[in-house]
Amino acid sequence: MKKCDSCGEKPATIKVRQVNKDGTSTEVEVCTDCAREKGISGVETIKIDITKVLDEIRSKVDEEDKKLICDGCGMSFAEFKRLGRLGCSACYTSFAERLEPIVRRIQGAGQHVGKTTKSGRKQARERMSVQRLREDLKTAIQDEDYEKAAELRDQLNRAEKNAGS
Amino acid sequence: MRAAEPVGGWLSVAGPDGDVVVSSRVRLARNLADVPFTTKAKPAEQTRVIEGTRSALEEGGFLEDGGFVDDEQLTDEYGRFLLERHLVSPDFVENKVKRGLYVNKDETVSLMVNEEDHLRIQALAAGLDFASALGRAFGIDEKLESQLGYAFSPQFGFLTACPTNVGTGMRASVLVHMPGLVLTKEIEKVLRGAAHIGLMVRGLHGEGSETRGNFFQISNQKTLGQSESEILETVTEIARQVVEYERKAREYLVENLRAEVEDKAFRSLAVLRSARILTSNEAVNLLATVRFGVSLGIINEISLPEVSRLMLLVRPANLQVLLGENLKPPERDERRATFVRESLVK
Repeated sequence: MKKCDSCGEKPATIKVRQVNKDGTSTEVEVCTDCAREKGISGVETIKIDITKVLDEIRSKVDEEDKKLICDGCGMSFAEFKRLGRLGCSACYTSFAERLEPIVRRIQGAGQHVGKTTKSGRKQARERMSVQRLREDLKTAIQDEDYEKAAELRDQLNRAEKNAGS
Repeated sequence: MRAAEPVGGWLSVAGPDGDVVVSSRVRLARNLADVPFTTKAKPAEQTRVIEGTRSALEEGGFLEDGGFVDDEQLTDEYGRFLLERHLVSPDFVENKVKRGLYVNKDETVSLMVNEEDHLRIQALAAGLDFASALGRAFGIDEKLESQLGYAFSPQFGFLTACPTNVGTGMRASVLVHMPGLVLTKEIEKVLRGAAHIGLMVRGLHGEGSETRGNFFQISNQKTLGQSESEILETVTEIARQVVEYERKAREYLVENLRAEVEDKAFRSLAVLRSARILTSNEAVNLLATVRFGVSLGIINEISLPEVSRLMLLVRPANLQVLLGENLKPPERDERRATFVRESLVK
């Protein structure tokens, strides 16, 4: 193995291309210690094994997946990924953030159209009223009508709960 | 519900475009709002779903027009019988949870309880006829919803155990017979075309099943972001195209290779009329060729529904129910040959 161009002792592990003032460039090969001494940035990351980084990221994600638990049935997101099946209807809200991109990828869409249940129709109406209340609340705040705003805020909270979103 | 005859109402008549389309099927996946999905439900909860569904069916008057089967009655053998009749899915037969099943009298509607989802409603119609199938499925669906309360979200629609079914929860499929396109080697083109517009092509019993006798099942893949009627329009559209291509291929074969096609059809009929030993596979394949001959007008002495009936009754589980005996394969093959011979030699 080639020895370091700077100290001439340790094995050279990093190639550095130096751009000179006249526009020409020279290439030197140095050891990690000399590189750090000369303040060449990125040395620490270069030393890291990329597969190790990926493994670490993966295990971190796995850890997070295990910690993400549905409050309805106790299924973890990791379990869902393994089985490909959700545990209960509450999983859709518990895992919403992670699940939505998956659903989009599978289905090519993210919003249901078509038949709804009776309660679904009620929920849809309530979602509409949530939107209307939000707009009214904004207007009330702009108009500095705080009494009305407080009342609207309470109504909005109730409506949001009913809309289940 | 345990009799081999009569065969289902969707098989006993040739429906619209029946020369190519055997049947249309609509399947809806539904879950109860307040019980975990089947895999996470405790045995007591599974029973609650079964009992709740049974009483909802009773309330809706559905039990006057059909029967409900408990888990204890759903033996492996009975499961195979139902599978051959297209009333249950392979997963349902294998499932190791407490299950229930409703089937209406003419076998055009079935309801699996505790498959992957709590409820799998299925409706069948002869030929290319989604209007009838959808009407039947929605009829029972709406009654059950009012009694049981479904898991539903305005964003994701009907919530299902697998995200591949979420939204409408609907799978619409047609069972098509395409021997002409297979013989003219045009089949690949048609299958690719179907895949291109997001449809799935599978064998006789859906997911993971082999294609046999040149029967294929075409169904929608996506369930979210399209309404039920939009999905049905897409599947109907491709079915119409398949019908057109298949008929063109058949015309070509009759015009250019009449002797070969006639030979194939009559030879199959002759074997069915003469054989002393017939396996289920051989019988199904020969009957499929006879079906081809009938729809081409080459064979006139048998009707399409008669061929469909035989194709079902030669299957192992149905044959045994028909004969009222449990038989070992060698003996079964002999009895099958006798049954087919007696049905075809009049």
